[in-house]
Amino acid sequence: MERAHPKTPVLTARSANLVGCGHCGEAWPMGTTRCGRCGARVASRDPASLQRVWAWWVAGIIAYIPALTEPMLVTRTLLGSEQSTIVGGAIELFVYGSPGIALIILIASVGIPVAKFGCIAYLAWTVSKGTQASPGSRNALYEVVEYIGRWSMIDVFVVAILASLVQFNAVATVTPGPASLAFALSVVFTMLAAQSFDSRLIWDGLDPAEPGR
Amino acid sequence: MTDRIPELPVSNGRRSILERVSIVWLVPLAALAVSLWVAWQSYNDRGPLIEVEFEQATGIRQGETELKFRDVPVGLVEDVGFSDALETVRVSIRLDKDIADFVDDDAEFWIVQPEVTTQGVSGLDTVLSGVFIEASWDRAPDGLVTTHRGTESAPLLRSGQSGLSLRLTAGPGVQLTGGAPILHKGVEVGRIGPPELTVDGTVARSEAIIFAPYDRLVSSNTRFWDTSGFTFSLGANGAELDFSSIATLIAGGVAFDTVVSGGAPASDGADFVVFVDEGAARSSLFQDDGGPVLNLTAVFEDNFSGLTVGAPVLLDGVTVGEVANVNGIVDMDRFGDTNVRLSTSLVLRTSKLGLAEATGEAALDFLDARVTAGLRARLISASLLTGGLKVELVDVPEAQDAVLDRDAEPFAVIPVAPAEISDVSATAEGVMERINNLPIEELLEAATTFLTSATRLSDSDDLQAIPGDVRGLVADLRGVTSAPELQALPGQAMELIVDLQALSGDLRGIAQSIETARAVERVTAAIDATTEAASGVGASVEGVPALVERLSAVAANAEALELQTLVDEATETVTAARGLLQDDGTKTLPTRLGAALAELEAALAELRTGGAVTNLNAALASANSAGAAVEAAAADLPGVIARLEQMTTDASDAFAGFDEDSELNRTARAALRDLQDAARAIEQLARTLERNPNAIILGR
Repeated sequence: MERAHPKTPVLTARSANLVGCGHCGEAWPMGTTRCGRCGARVASRDPASLQRVWAWWVAGIIAYIPALTEPMLVTRTLLGSEQSTIVGGAIELFVYGSPGIALIILIASVGIPVAKFGCIAYLAWTVSKGTQASPGSRNALYEVVEYIGRWSMIDVFVVAILASLVQFNAVATVTPGPASLAFALSVVFTMLAAQSFDSRLIWDGLDPAEPGR
Repeated sequence: MTDRIPELPVSNGRRSILERVSIVWLVPLAALAVSLWVAWQSYNDRGPLIEVEFEQATGIRQGETELKFRDVPVGLVEDVGFSDALETVRVSIRLDKDIADFVDDDAEFWIVQPEVTTQGVSGLDTVLSGVFIEASWDRAPDGLVTTHRGTESAPLLRSGQSGLSLRLTAGPGVQLTGGAPILHKGVEVGRIGPPELTVDGTVARSEAIIFAPYDRLVSSNTRFWDTSGFTFSLGANGAELDFSSIATLIAGGVAFDTVVSGGAPASDGADFVVFVDEGAARSSLFQDDGGPVLNLTAVFEDNFSGLTVGAPVLLDGVTVGEVANVNGIVDMDRFGDTNVRLSTSLVLRTSKLGLAEATGEAALDFLDARVTAGLRARLISASLLTGGLKVELVDVPEAQDAVLDRDAEPFAVIPVAPAEISDVSATAEGVMERINNLPIEELLEAATTFLTSATRLSDSDDLQAIPGDVRGLVADLRGVTSAPELQALPGQAMELIVDLQALSGDLRGIAQSIETARAVERVTAAIDATTEAASGVGASVEGVPALVERLSAVAANAEALELQTLVDEATETVTAARGLLQDDGTKTLPTRLGAALAELEAALAELRTGGAVTNLNAALASANSAGAAVEAAAADLPGVIARLEQMTTDASDAFAGFDEDSELNRTARAALRDLQDAARAIEQLARTLERNPNAIILGR
């Protein structure tokens, strides 16, 4: 799917001296700061976009560390309490004969978040430093990251459901551990990082004549 | 909607840093700050890590088992490992920071597990939650000590409790139970710790706690007794079943009471004896005056049975104590062999030693001095019948040097002396053994053989003929014995012997006077009488052959006389005659006779006095009369001898019919042998007299 042909000159809003409202889609002449129709702030390129991406990304990483080291679930039964971290629980599941579930947990809780961090960092990096990779594939990557973001909370959902269902007082209690909050924060931060990314920047590199921002 | 494109705003120059940097950067900064703060706080709140060593880490789990103080969690087990040589389990516990300073040297740790004992069920909560470690420490924060040693069981005095710590010693018949309550008027005021044995295994002891404020109830006049179990007594008041409570019936317990007021308050670590019942406890208070006791150990080499607990200990015959315990011990290292020895604990009442200062130390000093002087402990018989023993402290003069070992554990050791035991049982046993060893079977066999022989003998014709022979023999014997000559014989023999004795006495007197007469001094004066004396001597000497003749006759007759005497069982006479024969003088006569004669001759040659000769003449006259008596006696002998010979022949005939081995035959033969011996003796006398007639005169 050759959506972009580097050799073919493309008329962009910017080259046409227009700026599009990101909210309602109305095109305004360059220099307009506020959308006359919906009142949203308009800018041809968001100059602070990359900064915000990096800021959210760093916050996400910081939140992700305790999500891995702290216990995700605290299970108290009659015979004692048990605390399990994400990786520890997955390893336990693997050892006790459920490699499938262990794999799912590992992919959902470790693989995907880590991949997201990598993707966002890669996109932000290539936008500011330039790359040989095609803008089309990078745009596709961005869309995937955006799409997956909303499903990353599935771990937190599982913990929330368990914690609310398994409450038998003395017999058995499941409470979310500190990792669940950290994990949720990490997911939110990465989603915000992905959202902060101005995907239009991907395409700017196509025309070297155009100014960077 | 608008047709014209507005002018692009142109901004020149540097924008401020706030404009260039996105506000979003605050988010990661905040996140970082928060995490750093959390990390710092958790590090700051972390208490110190202590290590507690246990024998067993029953149920302790890393990261789960809690440390509790007064049932509040104050720590968590972080690690369970082993000590260097795997000897103990080392449990690392992360303490809460705020209590860390209280975990000082006196802190105690023990593992709480579910326990079902006669005292009840404890630690039930740990069945579900798992064990926890409980700790106890005092109220003084003396600084953290990181290494501790866990105890096996909960201490008697929990944290925050105060009380009096005592040491209870089990008296005879008392069984101390760990954890049992101490009651006073039915109220639990204390608790007994786990009992343990002393080093030598003789006494069971137990720590005990009387909780405050009841500790002031205990004084030196307090007595403890065992309330476990029940007593049943049947007396004038009817049957009585007595037990303190169902709890103590099952679990055991100790009660105490102070019967007499005025005792000094007990101090920590005071020793008390637990009596078997209340009566014993109360009477003990009046029996002894409450003075201190002195414990001694005595190890007896001999291992006798019969020494029991409660046996008296005597010092100089006075009971000063009793045996508290009796044990057999085998200690290769201490004694160098594997013999079983009797190790006894003696309890002495120092007040009964009669010392002015009745303390244990004074008593030990006293005993020490006595032991150096030879005092020893030894076993003696208390009762011959039962074989019971008691211990006596007695001075043994020839005892080897020994000292009182005052440093011995658990009590001073007193040296011992060999036991003095008259062992009736051993003697009786010996008798039985001897009876057992009697050759009963051989005897029976011999008896059977004898009876068989006897039967055969009685059936024999020879034996049938014996009665007739025997009757003849008896008649002969009767004839012999009833002969008047024989009846008169003993008297005559006596006379003879008396005469002979008188004669020899006279002769001795003469010889003495001759010896004593200082002949040499009188030589000159006596010379004049020499001729006269010589003629007198000649006459005297002429008379001697006649005497010898007569004596020979006597001897010849005496041979027969001896036989008759024996037949008449005139044993006295024979004995007298034998005495005469065996007289030293008679025996040595032959060898000395020559010398005697020479002496006599010398004496006679030297005789200057007529008195001696006159005496001699008188003596010779006596001898003559003696000879006459013998002659008279001997005159009757031939007839007797003839009869006796006849009898002997008859007897021989009669005995010939008997079995060779029969008792009768043996006895008869022995009698005959005796007769022959006697005859031979008489013969010898006669022969001697024949050869040396002077012998009878000189009495040699």
